[in-house]
Amino acid sequence: MRFPARWLVGLCSAGLCSAITFAAGSGEDKQLSLTIYNGNLALIEHVRPITLETGRQRVEFSGVSAQILPQTVNFTASNLELLEQNFDYDLLTPEKLMEKAIGGKVRIVRTNPATGAESSETAEVLSTMGGTVMRIDGRIEVLRDDSLPARVIFDKVPENLRARPTLSVLVNSSQAGTQDARLTYLSRGLTWDADYVAVFNEPKGVLSMQGWITLSNDSGTGFVNARAQLVAGNLHLTDTELRGIDRDNSATRRAAGTEAGTQPQLGDYYLYPLAHPTTIANNQKKQVGFLESDDVKASKGYEVTFGGFSSSDEPQSAQVRVRFSNSKAGGLGAQLPAGVVRVYARDSKGQPQFIGEDKITHTSAGSDIALRIGDAFDVTVTPTLSQVTKINKRSSEYQMSYLVRNARAEAVTLTLRQIGLWRLNEVRAESIKGRRTDANSFAWDVPVPANGETTLTFTMRQSW
Amino acid sequence: MRRALFAMSLLTALPAAADVVQLVSPRPDSVSVTIYRDLFALITETRTVDLPAGPVTLVFDGVVDTLLPQSAVVADTNRAVNEANYDFDRLTPANLLKKSIGRSVTLWRTNPATGRARQVIATVVAANEDGVVFHTADGNEALQCSGLPEQLTFTEIPGELKSQPQLSIHLAAGEPGRRQVKVSYLAHGFAWQANYVAQLGERMDLLGWITLDNFTSTAFRNASVQVVAGKLNLLSAEDDRGTGVLGASEDYGPDEYLDEDRDMAVEDMREELDEEPEDVEYYFGCYPMGFPKQVITAEDVGSLGYMNNTEALQRISGEELDEVIVTGHRASMAVRENLADYQLYRLPNPTDLQARQTKQVAFLHKPDVRYERFYSVRLGSMYDFDESFEPIVPTVKVGWVNQQSDGLGEPLPSGKVRFFEQSPAGSVFVGDDRLSDSPVGTPSEFILAQANDVAFGVDNLMDAGNSDIAPGPLSWLTRTAYLPVHLRVTNAKRTPVTFELRQAPIDDFENFRVKDASLPTKRKSGDYMWRFTVPANGESTLNYKLGGRVPD
Repeated sequence: MRFPARWLVGLCSAGLCSAITFAAGSGEDKQLSLTIYNGNLALIEHVRPITLETGRQRVEFSGVSAQILPQTVNFTASNLELLEQNFDYDLLTPEKLMEKAIGGKVRIVRTNPATGAESSETAEVLSTMGGTVMRIDGRIEVLRDDSLPARVIFDKVPENLRARPTLSVLVNSSQAGTQDARLTYLSRGLTWDADYVAVFNEPKGVLSMQGWITLSNDSGTGFVNARAQLVAGNLHLTDTELRGIDRDNSATRRAAGTEAGTQPQLGDYYLYPLAHPTTIANNQKKQVGFLESDDVKASKGYEVTFGGFSSSDEPQSAQVRVRFSNSKAGGLGAQLPAGVVRVYARDSKGQPQFIGEDKITHTSAGSDIALRIGDAFDVTVTPTLSQVTKINKRSSEYQMSYLVRNARAEAVTLTLRQIGLWRLNEVRAESIKGRRTDANSFAWDVPVPANGETTLTFTMRQSW
Repeated sequence: MRRALFAMSLLTALPAAADVVQLVSPRPDSVSVTIYRDLFALITETRTVDLPAGPVTLVFDGVVDTLLPQSAVVADTNRAVNEANYDFDRLTPANLLKKSIGRSVTLWRTNPATGRARQVIATVVAANEDGVVFHTADGNEALQCSGLPEQLTFTEIPGELKSQPQLSIHLAAGEPGRRQVKVSYLAHGFAWQANYVAQLGERMDLLGWITLDNFTSTAFRNASVQVVAGKLNLLSAEDDRGTGVLGASEDYGPDEYLDEDRDMAVEDMREELDEEPEDVEYYFGCYPMGFPKQVITAEDVGSLGYMNNTEALQRISGEELDEVIVTGHRASMAVRENLADYQLYRLPNPTDLQARQTKQVAFLHKPDVRYERFYSVRLGSMYDFDESFEPIVPTVKVGWVNQQSDGLGEPLPSGKVRFFEQSPAGSVFVGDDRLSDSPVGTPSEFILAQANDVAFGVDNLMDAGNSDIAPGPLSWLTRTAYLPVHLRVTNAKRTPVTFELRQAPIDDFENFRVKDASLPTKRKSGDYMWRFTVPANGESTLNYKLGGRVPD
């Protein structure tokens, strides 16, 4: 835009004008809409004025996404018949230029290195395999095999060689004039994710949460003044698999919510329209806020999981989790699109410091969430398998002792899980009352005093 | 006609750009850098801006170019943030050409005979990896294929190309005036580790050092610098848009692996700085010609100002630690505080953290720590009693308990401990080992070396030539066998030594037990354990029985 219009004149004399004659003004969108999905996919709609003559003609669209999926293009305008759609990606390079000139004429301008005098000749290009072979004035010569300067000048650039991949349609119009044409297509290179910043105030038991939509555009094209909306949800696409069900004890989402969300819905997805038209430059990441709450009730918990019976010299750190609910009562009352939650805590000077991150899946409102923050420096567990006793051919007893140390200045409770037990299992003795969490696992809540330790012992009988 | 269209589009494009004021904040007033062990840092900048009443775009120059855009937060603006943008369409020769497609440039051609340069207005028709085609009044040509010196010059840099990645935010209208805004973000290219120096004497003198690295090209003046010790949960930067350059924390097994990977990554970063700059990416390609393609390399373009920092970076712990200790400023130590479930160490004074700099500061000095040096053997297989196998050599270990009554009682972040001992010739390095994160109250043990003067022997009375248990003492009714073990430890030193023997469960037995020991039996991490003193130039013996049920 900033450039003088004279380059267009240059292009016309370059023989490029015929290609853009019908597409005058087609680089400017009257309206541009983007619907961006989570998994590197966007639906793009351009509404552009095009000026048509009657009859067959080609309309070219510049400024479409370079990562367009050409098979998804849909072009609509009135009073015309669509003959064909083309997506040309034969890039214009010096080599291609010469290749396409085979059988045609080029001009050779030589500069005499001694005198500086220029002389011009017309050459016929014969071959470009391993060197350019030309016929000039009846003699055959190889371009520049004398290493002397020689410019090659091409009068025309072949129409199907493009500076950028270009979308064009061949139409038959029954009416001349300017009208708005609508072009829609799917494209890769545009995607979005949610990012959350959560500042955890542990003494108050409160999270202050902000949610950001991070849009990224690697499509190779910038989009100006676009109306954008984002779709939260996992679409099924033929070339990607939906994620399997995550039945993991360390899962972030502990209970699915049943509250209705806050955003307009489309089928099973949530829509997040951006309030203002936005410009998304190529190679840009853009963040737009969509959620803010300073008063989300949260608590901290320590967890550790053991998948077998063994001893260790090295104490194992307990996992720290921050638990909250995105329910109305919990202070949020909104569904949370999948993304990364970064958790911060304030240091002694009141400055937020990063303390860990976890990801959440698309989470319906009212769900219980337990973010894994990291490993506790001061809460550790040392497991000891003190005795194994074989009861009979099909059962054994394992006597475990877990030494839980707490070097913090306040008392903590550690939830210790013993998972992956055999089919028949039974606690024969325990120092703290535990609970069966499912067929193959037990959990104990171990209270540990400040700067102190507690030993959990139990005897587990396993049979098969 | 075409001209008219152009003018129209200008009119529609301009107002949108004109009603938003752009304000550039060239540099932060002050900055805080918190370095984590997993090769990243949290940068918090305070910047003063004079906000106009209307909507404004704030551009933050001088942010660290390795920043993770999804982590950027701008706070204290007192206005609604409409959007934040992170642009990294870099100004490179290749991008400059690509953005110039369809635009007018100046072509300079030098006549080889006269040396006179002629300039021609040209239009870039195509520019990609395979070359550049331009158009002049003469026709279409390829750039730098004629053999004549040819150069393109540009009248301006396309606005979207930035020499540095740029962070900006669009703020809604609001109260005008001077404000201090806070910009914080995570950035890669930082590292720190803890190193300990332990001088062994009657008591131990333990000194802890923080070594921190800034591998980025950003210098931080007068920065407050902190490091955080602890294991944060991180997602993989590559797969999950997380912060972890080494992958997701949950995929890591033992801490040693993570430590190793971390060390390797730091080495890689150090080496990257020493590498030759890559060839400049520039579009260059011609049609086939009678001579080989010419390639523009960095050397042709000239020095790009890369500095060799090798020497500065090689000056780091290890061999030269002695020197560091001598010159270290013990007076100004980093101060520890609790941060959530981690430890945060604050460097004592604001400091300049230069680009590509390594800095060391002490964080702990405990001059009078009770420790124990002992010799240790762990038995855990029937082969251990077989004389035809390699004899078992005791290891020399140092152990301490991290408690105040023993002269310690401070959280110790994981790191390497290097042990030194006084000799007539001065301080001598006697071995090193890894310390895992050690909260107050936990014991730690380190392997120093293999013993020379303390030997260990098995006088086994049983026939354990193979791993099968000899049937002799086996009670056929209960299938229970207890095998007697006779151990002898000799000490050739002029001082008595402490010996620790650990008997781990042996897989050949079910219901493994140890009984009838000649010394009091203790348990340690599931093992049976004895501790006893071996007199100077003397020996000690230990007898016990081990066994259990022999599987059917």
